[in-house]
Amino acid sequence: MIMVQDRSVIKGLVLNDIANKGGKYVANWRVYKPEIDLDKCVACGLCISYCPEAAINRSGDKKPEIDYRFCKGCGICAYECPQKAIDMKQEEA
Amino acid sequence: MPQDFDVIPGNKAIAHGVRLARVEVVPAYPITPQTTIIEYIADFVANGELDAEYVHTEGEHSCMAVAVGASMAGARTFTATCSQGLAYMHEVVAQATNYRTPIVMAIANRTLGWYWSLGPDYSDIMPEMNLGWLVNFVETNQECLDMTLMNYKIAEDYRVLLPTMISLDGFYLSYSQERVYMPEIEAVDEWLPPYKAPYPVDPTISKAWPSAGIPFQLHTTYRRLHEEVMEDAKKVIAEVDRSFGETFGRSYGGLVEKYRTENADSVLVTMGSMTTAARRAVDKLRKEGEKIGLLKLRYMRPFPNEELIELAGQVDSIGVLDRAVLHGTGGGMAFQDVKAALYNTDIKVPVMNFVTGLGGEDIPIDDIYVMGKKVVKAAKSGKLEKEVNYVEHPMTGMAPPVEFESESCMHPGSDGCAGCGASIIVRTLLDTLGPDTVVINPPNCSGVNYGGVVKVPWILANFAAGAAYETGVYRALRKKGKADKVYVTSYAGDGGTADIGLQSISGAAERGESIIWLCYDNEAYMNTGIQRSGTTPLFSSTSSTPAGSVWKGKPTRRKNLLMIMAAHRIPYIATASLAYIPDLKRKIKKAAEVTRAGEGMAFLHVHQPCCTGWYFEPEQTVEIGRLAVQSGAFPVVEIDHGQFKISVKPKELKPVKEYLAPQRRFRHVSDEMVEVIQGHINNDWAALLKMEKEGKLDWY
Repeated sequence: MIMVQDRSVIKGLVLNDIANKGGKYVANWRVYKPEIDLDKCVACGLCISYCPEAAINRSGDKKPEIDYRFCKGCGICAYECPQKAIDMKQEEA
Repeated sequence: MPQDFDVIPGNKAIAHGVRLARVEVVPAYPITPQTTIIEYIADFVANGELDAEYVHTEGEHSCMAVAVGASMAGARTFTATCSQGLAYMHEVVAQATNYRTPIVMAIANRTLGWYWSLGPDYSDIMPEMNLGWLVNFVETNQECLDMTLMNYKIAEDYRVLLPTMISLDGFYLSYSQERVYMPEIEAVDEWLPPYKAPYPVDPTISKAWPSAGIPFQLHTTYRRLHEEVMEDAKKVIAEVDRSFGETFGRSYGGLVEKYRTENADSVLVTMGSMTTAARRAVDKLRKEGEKIGLLKLRYMRPFPNEELIELAGQVDSIGVLDRAVLHGTGGGMAFQDVKAALYNTDIKVPVMNFVTGLGGEDIPIDDIYVMGKKVVKAAKSGKLEKEVNYVEHPMTGMAPPVEFESESCMHPGSDGCAGCGASIIVRTLLDTLGPDTVVINPPNCSGVNYGGVVKVPWILANFAAGAAYETGVYRALRKKGKADKVYVTSYAGDGGTADIGLQSISGAAERGESIIWLCYDNEAYMNTGIQRSGTTPLFSSTSSTPAGSVWKGKPTRRKNLLMIMAAHRIPYIATASLAYIPDLKRKIKKAAEVTRAGEGMAFLHVHQPCCTGWYFEPEQTVEIGRLAVQSGAFPVVEIDHGQFKISVKPKELKPVKEYLAPQRRFRHVSDEMVEVIQGHINNDWAALLKMEKEGKLDWY
């Protein structure tokens, strides 16, 4: 949702517009990167509900898939995973 | 006299001024970019460097009212604010003059009205300009400190006895570091003796006290007298400036400061921090042979008419730089004053206006150089090409959003901290209510971080009036037959709920507005940088209740929001936690049902551990939330039409120490202090069990 001035028919009125899609690229915030071991994963979905960024979604086989463009590397998913299926690995410098 | 110096930001220079002046009462409320002033002062008090009554108020209106009360009772009083906060104070700001309270208030300027511009311009101080305060603008951090001291001397002089604002540009001065010389406190003590109120509100000393009520026949007389006092203040300002110079070796020229005005044909008029860049622009133009100088307005009230007229008589053109627009007049703030001062004189000199640096945009030397050129040209030609010039620049540096498709009501890619719990709650709320939802957002960190990534209307409300905004939207929708089609909910923080927002929530609850109030409670003002709020727990160290040699964190317990709302007999109240998402979802659904049925307000109080503000590792956000519930530090309960039920009931409560230990905000807490907290939790838990046993609350 970005301010767009050119869509407003009222002079000097600033609009927010939910037609705009997408957020910021935040992958460069990350120090540790979560990696899911899909063999251990039982697709419980806890990581999906607890991800503060909504960067984890269910893939075709219902198992979680991380969109790394939006992952800040907080580590909640790894901490909360009941199967210990997520590992935090240090990013390459 | 040699003086120590330190390299400090303007806000700290102000705080040192307050310490050196031995201010006795400091009411405080956070707002960017002023907040660090009151934080530095809190540090001084917490560590015994300043012996002052520090009042953590619940909003700016009260903050100013505490200041007026304290000053009337005879205490040297200081407070600080800016922007929306200053506007919220307005009514009491006006009152401070009649009661003749020599309060010194720092305004770390920030634009007013267009909220998320935190940057400085003078639109915040503009509406306060004509209420009878002295208004002082400063250029440097040294001036911040010196003018804090000088303004007490001026304000407390019985020939003046008026409150004073020190206006320092947010960010440019408030956060920028400069060398500041620090006078010895003993020297300050001698130069600035303690304040002695002539008629203090203290029946043991005085049988008379300042009155705010006079017969209407006398209004004109007393307004005229106030103007005379403002005129008298001009003399006092000059005297104090000289005396400060003699004692501490620095003086600034009183009402104005002139720079390179000798033989000048043109002059630029500036105020505040822009003056430094303007000096360099004048230097550059002088080097090129242009006869241009600079007049810095140091006090806008009283306005330096005489100094301006004298200088205007010597030049052929004037250019006024303005960081505020007086809407409807076609130009800037100082511009109108300058023109008005010259009108009934023989001087007919063209006056140009440059509106520049609004919303905190930089005013670079190159821009002022161009302005100077235009002013010089007007001097040569004797006429104005354009009276008011808006200095505008194109927007740069915004990265386009990453395209993303999802069914959720929230996009990823926010500005929130890594490990933020608030976003988990926003997403759960919006995905449960669906896209036909209007979110009302009293200012908080989520507004900054998530307001731009949600797919529903997200309306920024004024801090004290979230529930009133909601009421307006809800009533309009109800009138148009949409009450059962659109949900109206808040996404409010704990400050916007328990402190400044409480009055408006109480009103809406009692009126039976069918709206949802969701408070995400991270137990402090996180948006301004972790100041204590009404829900901050006992002993928690925050930036306004730091643990030091005197203070041990927050000395009082948190408000019981649950019972405050239960006293309103609203149909649904629940506490919840981000660690129990299914429970949270169920409660949001219930809130949706109750409001859709038009039964009245549903109040959700959701606990949100904040890794940045509570100082724990980001991956522990959910774990800390779970420990809060399992230790009884934040019980998860609901009151459904008066029926009380504990939603998550551990067989045995975990010791609260397990919850406190990972959080560095409780690092200073001793075993005895933990025992005190544990005792409160045990009592509260027993009370909750009793209430559950009784079932329905008696008063429903």
